[in-house]
Amino acid sequence: MSEKTPEKKTEMDRREFLTTTATVGGAMVLGFWMPLSAEAANMPVAPTPWYREAAVPEINAWITIAPDDTVTIRVGQTELGTGVFTANPMMVAEELQCDWKKVRAEYASANRDAREKAPEWTLKVPGNGESDPGGAAPVELENAKGVYRRMIIHSSGNVRESRYYLQLAGAEARERLLLAAANEWGVPVSELVAKDSVITHAKSKRRTTYGAIAAKAARTPLPDPSKIKIKTPDKYTLLGTEQKSLDVPLKVTGEAIYGIDIRLPGMLYAAVKACPVWGGDVQSYNFDRIRNMPGVHSVVRLPFDSLTKSVGFLCGGVAAIADSWWRAKTALDALPVEWNYGSGAGVSSTSLYDLHLATGKQPGEAKTNDGNVDEAMARAAKVVEAVYSVPFSPRARMEPGNATVLVTDNRVDIWSGDQDPQGLLRRAAKLTGITPENVYIHSTFQGGGYGSNGNGPQGEQAVAVANAVRGRPVKMLWTREEDWGTGTKYRPMSVCLMKAGLDAQGWPIAMEVRHATTWSLGDMGYRGLSAPPYFIPNYRLTIHAPKTHVPIGTRRGTGAAPNGFYMESFIDELANIAGKDPYMYRRELISRNPAEPKQGVGGFVHRDDFVRALDMVAKMSGWGTPLPEGWARGIAIDDRRRPTRTTSTICAQVHTVEVTKAGKLTHHRVDVVFEQGFALMNPLSVRKQIEGQIAWGYDDTMYQATTLEEGHAIERNFDKFPVSRMNEYPKQVNIQFMKTNRWITGAGEEAIPQIPPAILNAVFKITGKRFRSIPLKSHDLSWG
Amino acid sequence: MAFTLLVNGVQYSVDAEQETPLLWVLRDSIGLTGTKYGCGIGQCGACTVLMDGNAVRSCFMQAGRAVGRKITTIEGLSPDGSHPAQLAWKEFDVPQCGYCQSGQILTAVALLEKKPKPTDADIDAQMTNACRCGTYHRIRQAIHRAAALRGQ
Repeated sequence: MSEKTPEKKTEMDRREFLTTTATVGGAMVLGFWMPLSAEAANMPVAPTPWYREAAVPEINAWITIAPDDTVTIRVGQTELGTGVFTANPMMVAEELQCDWKKVRAEYASANRDAREKAPEWTLKVPGNGESDPGGAAPVELENAKGVYRRMIIHSSGNVRESRYYLQLAGAEARERLLLAAANEWGVPVSELVAKDSVITHAKSKRRTTYGAIAAKAARTPLPDPSKIKIKTPDKYTLLGTEQKSLDVPLKVTGEAIYGIDIRLPGMLYAAVKACPVWGGDVQSYNFDRIRNMPGVHSVVRLPFDSLTKSVGFLCGGVAAIADSWWRAKTALDALPVEWNYGSGAGVSSTSLYDLHLATGKQPGEAKTNDGNVDEAMARAAKVVEAVYSVPFSPRARMEPGNATVLVTDNRVDIWSGDQDPQGLLRRAAKLTGITPENVYIHSTFQGGGYGSNGNGPQGEQAVAVANAVRGRPVKMLWTREEDWGTGTKYRPMSVCLMKAGLDAQGWPIAMEVRHATTWSLGDMGYRGLSAPPYFIPNYRLTIHAPKTHVPIGTRRGTGAAPNGFYMESFIDELANIAGKDPYMYRRELISRNPAEPKQGVGGFVHRDDFVRALDMVAKMSGWGTPLPEGWARGIAIDDRRRPTRTTSTICAQVHTVEVTKAGKLTHHRVDVVFEQGFALMNPLSVRKQIEGQIAWGYDDTMYQATTLEEGHAIERNFDKFPVSRMNEYPKQVNIQFMKTNRWITGAGEEAIPQIPPAILNAVFKITGKRFRSIPLKSHDLSWG
Repeated sequence: MAFTLLVNGVQYSVDAEQETPLLWVLRDSIGLTGTKYGCGIGQCGACTVLMDGNAVRSCFMQAGRAVGRKITTIEGLSPDGSHPAQLAWKEFDVPQCGYCQSGQILTAVALLEKKPKPTDADIDAQMTNACRCGTYHRIRQAIHRAAALRGQ
């Protein structure tokens, strides 16, 4: 180990370290924590939650205010790149009316959430959801009764789920600060004004600051907190403005601490190898062969049994533990392991495609059955059929799975960036037999996520390893190959059989969609397909569910991404067959819907907003204006809608693409119309999300697939699973927000479903080739 | 088998196998965790550091080969985040998850050393680091801005 460690930095104790890893913004200076002596390995972790700073008054569970007016706002969700560390404090600060320049963000404690019930005043969610400016989308919070409600970050749900109670938290604190000042001055609270952390009483010319009154406010409860009202969007002053991310300054200096960066006194390192075929387990291994290698401590078997399955393991494996990660990995590479691959070992992508195709032709479960499809199909002037498909694909985040865990006989501490801290806490308790109240999650930044279980069982495996060496902290880290090969769940392969009956003018009078997919989570298999935005009087969707051993999970874009690819490509095919412009064809079919939902066919409450989005994107992209030879524009629209359409975000896109005669594709320009609803919390963050989704959708279109051979994943590192670089990113990206009278679903993945169909629709225009499967790397794009 | 590495102007005596990749010596032996592990095969660029001013991928280089060379990690770029590239990255709010950004910034710094006024084509050619969040749009703008800041 290194001899030179800056002495001043070793003075930080663990408590200080924990605080600084998770606090950003304002004037906070981050220090590096360096290893203490080996004797310090058994130092107890501070028994109280790490973020409670006794010297700083806590107004409520989300807010502390220091005497210098520094407001610290606690964020329950993990910052993995979507901007929650900025947007969530903004939602609180909007109501608190504090000085934004003095706001810091830190992580909320999942342990406190396990111990403390949500305040009563955060549980009642009034309003009618999307159509009510003061409302919320309460459904997803029904069972989230801990103080921080729902800490998992998923489904673009951060703002949708937490806005209401975060605004309430800010408002409750503001009212208490005002009440404390009113009590001190003996004036009615209604005569006080709060702005930028200053409270003034105009009549008496008195003035105080939040920092000065905070201690009193912390002891001043509201007589009836249920009367608190939150601001409607027309009253926003901070929300809706572009604010830079509070965590960015840390991310340009290397100071931001991710799970992989945790270092603890006496820490051991673990490398893991899991059975390459999901569902398999270890047959045997020979520790003696590596026992004497440098730094080796032990090998821990990770069984695949009912307990580990229940916490999310995808297969069994072994962990090598050593005094450095490189030594652990080197030893593990040398460890002879025999596997029991299990029943998945004979499966390949080809056999699975055939299985999907065959299953799609069998009877399925009807999700939509409007009109009489068979009768209409029989009288159609023309019947069009096409088979579409997507392959398996992982989320492929940049930071390989890891967590650092210390298990003692009565307590578990986990340092990790995890998309689901509450879930990890419960699962750690289950694995160790230690009560949830004694499990502590010390959240860090996370190097990407892209799906609600996007980190895989990283924390759970790490807990299992550390549980075997109680008393010593262990950092478990997957290799890239482990992360992509055995540590993740996949966007499933699916095959979609589409059939349309057109009338003599080329308009669809019937459509039958048979979707073979293992995506059985919620509505993933039919989101976007069960209620297309197009008026098709006779429409049937059936779901067909083949069985595979491949672990399936959510992935950025959700089911809307493959489903949108199918619908938006097929409708383009129909437009072409009808000899009509694909923008105008879509526009007409959307306009034919009745505006209000009615019994039966075609009610479409967002009809006019869809048409507006199409018109906007056509205009901004120069739709219909000439392009050079080999160039074309492709269009697509989607709203990532759920079957009920209660949550959706409309996004229309035009992609301008070039394909050379030799078949080389260039992605030149993207025009995006993105619905903003009543308001976006931080439009800068949304803009960044959309920019990033363009690269994500392009990668799906061009490159990304996980191929299976003998039951295991072939593409396990960046050499075989390409991620596009700077040179492929479009030189021109235009984004316009479209105001509507409702709340949108979210912004984390709503610009993805349009990308593959828009690009492929342009490719068709250029090459005359209609590609019905992605990625394009497997296709010949040459033409002419 | 201790050996000495010069990192960010400080001589560190390291007790590790010389074949250990430089990345792990920087992160685990010396404690400079700003340099990230992404692939281990020199593909993604998250582990990029400067060696005598050139951007190299430290996951794919034995630490022993770095002896006698001048290594700069993200922590050594400036004491306070004031390097023109860092200022530009903040101005354009570039990072999302941020995991790849140390490598992106150091690659950009090496580019700017060689081409103080890089064209878009120069940027396309040199910036070969992967970003899964897709921050390329802002990285490009930030590099142009950093070039302007350097010229001031």
